[in-house]
Amino acid sequence: MSAVVASARRSRSSLTLWLGLLLVGLHVAVALLTLVWLPYDPTALTGGRLAPPSLEHWAGTDRLGRDFFTQIMIGSRIALIVGISAVAIGGLIGVTLGVLAAFATRLLDDALAATLDILIAFPTLLIAMLVVAASDTASLGTAVLALGIALSAIVARLTRILAKRVLLMDYITAARTSGTSWLGIVFQHVLPNIWPTLSVNFALQFGLAVIAEASLSYLGLGAPPPNASWGRLLQEAQGTVYTAPIGAIAPGIALVSLVIGVNLLADGLRDIGDPTRRVSR
Amino acid sequence: MNQISIRRALVAAALLGSVAVAPLAMAQDYDANATIRIGSLYEPQNLDNTAGAGQGINEAFNGNVYEALFQLTDAGAVEPKLVDSYSASEDGLTYTFKLKPGVTFHSGDPLTAADVKYSIERVTAEASKSSRKKSLSTITGIETPDDQTVVITLSARSISLPYNLSYVWIVNDKATDITASEDGTGPYTLGEWRRGSALALARNDKYWGTAPTNGEVIYTYFTDATALNNALLTNAVDVITSVQSPDSLAQFSGNPAYTVTEGASTTKELLAWNDRVAPFDNVKVRKALAKATDKAKLLNSIWGDYGTLIGSFVPPTDPWYVDLTGVDAYDVEAAKALLAEAGYPDGFEFTLDTPDYDPHPIVAQFLQAEYAKVGVKVNINIITANEWYEKIYKAHDFQATLQEHVNHRDIVFYGNPDFYWGYNNPEVVKLIADSEAAATIDEQTAKLTEANKLIAEDAASNWLYLYPQIVVSAANVTGYPVNGLNSQFFAYGIQKAK
Repeated sequence: MSAVVASARRSRSSLTLWLGLLLVGLHVAVALLTLVWLPYDPTALTGGRLAPPSLEHWAGTDRLGRDFFTQIMIGSRIALIVGISAVAIGGLIGVTLGVLAAFATRLLDDALAATLDILIAFPTLLIAMLVVAASDTASLGTAVLALGIALSAIVARLTRILAKRVLLMDYITAARTSGTSWLGIVFQHVLPNIWPTLSVNFALQFGLAVIAEASLSYLGLGAPPPNASWGRLLQEAQGTVYTAPIGAIAPGIALVSLVIGVNLLADGLRDIGDPTRRVSR
Repeated sequence: MNQISIRRALVAAALLGSVAVAPLAMAQDYDANATIRIGSLYEPQNLDNTAGAGQGINEAFNGNVYEALFQLTDAGAVEPKLVDSYSASEDGLTYTFKLKPGVTFHSGDPLTAADVKYSIERVTAEASKSSRKKSLSTITGIETPDDQTVVITLSARSISLPYNLSYVWIVNDKATDITASEDGTGPYTLGEWRRGSALALARNDKYWGTAPTNGEVIYTYFTDATALNNALLTNAVDVITSVQSPDSLAQFSGNPAYTVTEGASTTKELLAWNDRVAPFDNVKVRKALAKATDKAKLLNSIWGDYGTLIGSFVPPTDPWYVDLTGVDAYDVEAAKALLAEAGYPDGFEFTLDTPDYDPHPIVAQFLQAEYAKVGVKVNINIITANEWYEKIYKAHDFQATLQEHVNHRDIVFYGNPDFYWGYNNPEVVKLIADSEAAATIDEQTAKLTEANKLIAEDAASNWLYLYPQIVVSAANVTGYPVNGLNSQFFAYGIQKAK
């Protein structure tokens, strides 16, 4: 009986992983393709106003007559850049802070933990909006930085907890007695041990970052036009949702497919990486 | 297409002043006691137009609850309202107004000269937040020799005085707090006002003039255009005062249960150069970029088949309108040649400060694509309305910007070199200053027409298009204003078929 459950669970987890890989891979492929080829110049006014989908324009055109499919393809690239960079920034700041907190004196650790708790209490989007508002001009760089900073609190708290757990292990005591420096401990023992959990968390943060960037752009705080962020496409389609619903549906599907893909990928990775869930040994 | 040409014809007719109301208003069998429910997005903050109540109060109260000495009609003409006759002295510095006899306020008090004096002083008072305060600043004294006579003395000639007085509500001088109540002379009295949702006007059966063709008017307020459209679709309202996008019209046009009417608004979409700074201090550059703008295509992108092209800042409802769309008509080759002549054969780059709300971002992207064709690179900088006010309107710290200007008769801004766009043509400044001191309306019109032509020749700004004023109603409701100048919405002629 348990063998059946185990095999079912294994096939489900590999299905999750493969589906996730497929969706994310599709977006990565499209994003790479946009670097060398696009169906149309994204800013060229090539068609009529709100033309419906056709062979020439797969997802129709927007109010200015620009090809919608081209913009959605570019949106993939922007979403991936935003996701990867925001997670990289958030990861770098978050892991550094988390590790520092784990090694710090009791007082400093408590202070850092309290600060992180306060930061986490604010919604990610709100922090990102504050950072964007504080900068002079809205740009993709600002949005990414803002999201990175907003995400770092979550990463830092997770890192701190995971690292503290590792630091209680006997082999850490052994390393310390044998004179390994604290940096050595971090790189040889702490990071390799917490990495599997962190990487799953990064994948989830990636999805969060993509949605948050779309929200920022929707609110006009993301990359300025003509950067074809999905959020901005959704915002522009808002007024024409009755006459040309494809304008809202297409970027919506693109956004959802990437975020679901990343989440499925994270689930699949967790099933592989987490020994408590690993069923075949 | 037929529907469009009918609308166009209507606009033309309205402009000629022959038609001031919606079509088919001839039905005899209307319900004289009908309740007309008007859907609007502009809820007033309070009921006093000198206390920062917003445009919603003009929509609900102008001409309906309060009247002025003169009335700006829906066709843009200035006609006597509470004034029976008036005359100006030879030097144009003294105006004598005789009031209409037999006019009473809603409280029963008769209209007297003291009320007029009180009402004008309300607008010019220090604490007044009226947008018309400045235009009445030449008034130095108001005398009331008898109950029916008002004598206004001016420090300088002001031919627009009657026009400017059309913005001054005549309020009973015994009225105390008019931010939450009213005492006007209009065909309606204030009914129930439910803050946040609706404002009702009841027919004034003791009205001194022609009685309204309906019994009650209820302005119902919405914060969301979609909810407003849905209210009309579900018969929760009878009329929508102004539709904000052509795409929501798809639900109504072509449906016999609704009437879509396009009038002429006074709202102009403007690409304002900072005429003080290079390269926009060069008239050739401004003309080149005006020629490089396919305005017909832009208007179609934003408004579909609605809206009007204008060749200057003056809409057709202003008396000094002339068709100037032929000046700097769309011609990419000519634009390139002019740029080369101006010393920019390879184009240049500039930043376009773009307010973050519709339609400005999409207009900015259109201009970016258009100007790329003549080698000019546009960097779009999205800013908030508040940033626009601080950075552009107050500090003049910009190269180019987009903005919509809603006012009627606002060409006078081009006579002020300190205005945000910094246009400074001494000839225009003089014409506009002299026009106010003109002895006759004809002279004023001639001077402002001349100024209008000059700003167009100078391509002082790039006037992109005039917004349409679109009113949608249930088919059984007729007789509403189509142009909605200055947000007015006279309700007294609205009829609802039985």
